Amino acid sequence: MLKLENVSASYGSVPAIANVSIEIGKGEAVGLLGANGAGKSTTLRAISGLVKLTSGTVTFDGVDLASYPPHRIPEFGIAHVPEGRQIFPEMTVHENLEIGSYVPKAKAERRQTLELVYGIFPRLAERKKQLAGTMSGGEQQMLAVGRGLMLRPRLLMLDEPSLGLAPVMTDVTFEKIGEIHKIGTAILLVEQNVSRALSLVERAYVLESGNVIMSGTSAELVNNKQVQAAYLGI
Amino acid sequence: MTHKTRSVILLTVGIAVLVALPVVVKSSFAIDIFIRILLFSFIGTAWNLMGGYAKQLSLGHAAYFGLGAYTSTILEINYNVSPWIGMVAGGAVAALASLPIGWLCFRLRGPYFTIATIATAQALMLIFLKFRDFAWGAEGTTIPNLGAAPLMMQFENKGSYYYVVLGLLLLGLLITWLIERSWVGNYLVAIGEDEDAAEAIGVNAPKMKRDIYMISAFLTALAGTFYTQYIYFIDPATAFSFNISIEAALVAIVGGIGTLWGPLIGTVLLETTSTLLQSWLGSSIGGIQLTVYSLILMAVILWRPTGLMGMIEELRQRHAGRAPARA
Repeated sequence: MLKLENVSASYGSVPAIANVSIEIGKGEAVGLLGANGAGKSTTLRAISGLVKLTSGTVTFDGVDLASYPPHRIPEFGIAHVPEGRQIFPEMTVHENLEIGSYVPKAKAERRQTLELVYGIFPRLAERKKQLAGTMSGGEQQMLAVGRGLMLRPRLLMLDEPSLGLAPVMTDVTFEKIGEIHKIGTAILLVEQNVSRALSLVERAYVLESGNVIMSGTSAELVNNKQVQAAYLGI
Repeated sequence: MTHKTRSVILLTVGIAVLVALPVVVKSSFAIDIFIRILLFSFIGTAWNLMGGYAKQLSLGHAAYFGLGAYTSTILEINYNVSPWIGMVAGGAVAALASLPIGWLCFRLRGPYFTIATIATAQALMLIFLKFRDFAWGAEGTTIPNLGAAPLMMQFENKGSYYYVVLGLLLLGLLITWLIERSWVGNYLVAIGEDEDAAEAIGVNAPKMKRDIYMISAFLTALAGTFYTQYIYFIDPATAFSFNISIEAALVAIVGGIGTLWGPLIGTVLLETTSTLLQSWLGSSIGGIQLTVYSLILMAVILWRPTGLMGMIEELRQRHAGRAPARA
């Protein structure tokens, strides 16, 4: 479904990723793992069109995404939940969700999708009218994921959903992501929390200094000595 | 009484009071102050569309004020076109000018955007200063006094000017209200809060910013025409004055940016304070009223960054005894 071939991107003259090739099939859950600064977020931003590619191609069902501006990418059913819970703090929870279904196709199904999201995140339903910025970090993260879901995405890209969350909230968040995957949404999960991520995804790529250094099924990676030493602390 | 009927009653009473004001108050000094208040409320309202909702803090709205003022004046003096038509033409010129200016400035974000907008207004002022055959250069020109000529936007009593600017303000508020209750309002707020996140959900931020900038520029230009007709004089220093850019932003910020009534409330507070301070303190120590005025400003910005509207909203919620939420 989504295919990156030899993608390179840089910020100014600083290269951020080089020759990254990854692939995600329909309904699959794939991880993008690695340490800080490995280029995980940049890879997502390259898919979303927020950074320009210096070389390589990004295709979605065979369509070249690089020729579209960032705001057109959601029309393909790609939702990007950016790092650091970029919710709209001055809007209510409900407004944040509603605005998530901006593209015409999602707008037509807004009512049903809202029910779906409130079903997955009952906490958000309780806080419908609250200003998003006044909620706890974990709740804001749920809202960010919920807003991504409002797009009825075929691919949900999550950037560090566990960042800054208490362990309990991390558990809840990962559980919810699992539920979203079960209803048929493909997931591309960026995480530093490697062990948690591997318990959720089916396959993963490991990035280091902007390069894919390893890939495989979750089981393969968990048992890989190098991964164990570098990321799992075993 | 429901919230809605109360709003409707308040609004009707408010408009009735505004309409009756020049009939009841005969002092020309007072009406002059009312006109200033309405004018800056209107400019602030125009600024607020872009600066308040989409949080694109422009300090260059004098560019559009000046373009509006010059367009109608050039059309009137050189081609004998009524300023009523010139006003709309000025709005159109300003809206068109906002395209290249926006194209340049929107490449920058945050403080850099703000600085770029200041530069555009200054550049326009220089253009009008240097090209003397084009627009009378630095000495400017007076508008020929035709006596009572409503068709040429000239009136013998100040009350009529009052109604013109009141009409402008109501237009600005109506447009803001329509935008606020439509989805566009939400999209603008989303862009203002986090442009990348807004784009990630599919909001076409560049187009939205361009469009709201055009509307804001158009409205600001109408104020320029009105002001020139009111004072019968134009020169680059007044038409493109940095003070206008500052005032536009200030009344909105003090009143509460991104709210319908913010700019109006902000102007009422700032204009009344500055006028009162001037008459109380102006004669005792030179410049003291400006000092007090700036202290009040600093206090508002320091302690009430959400402006007076934020304060009112807070009080209302405390009164209703519920968690911070928006209706």
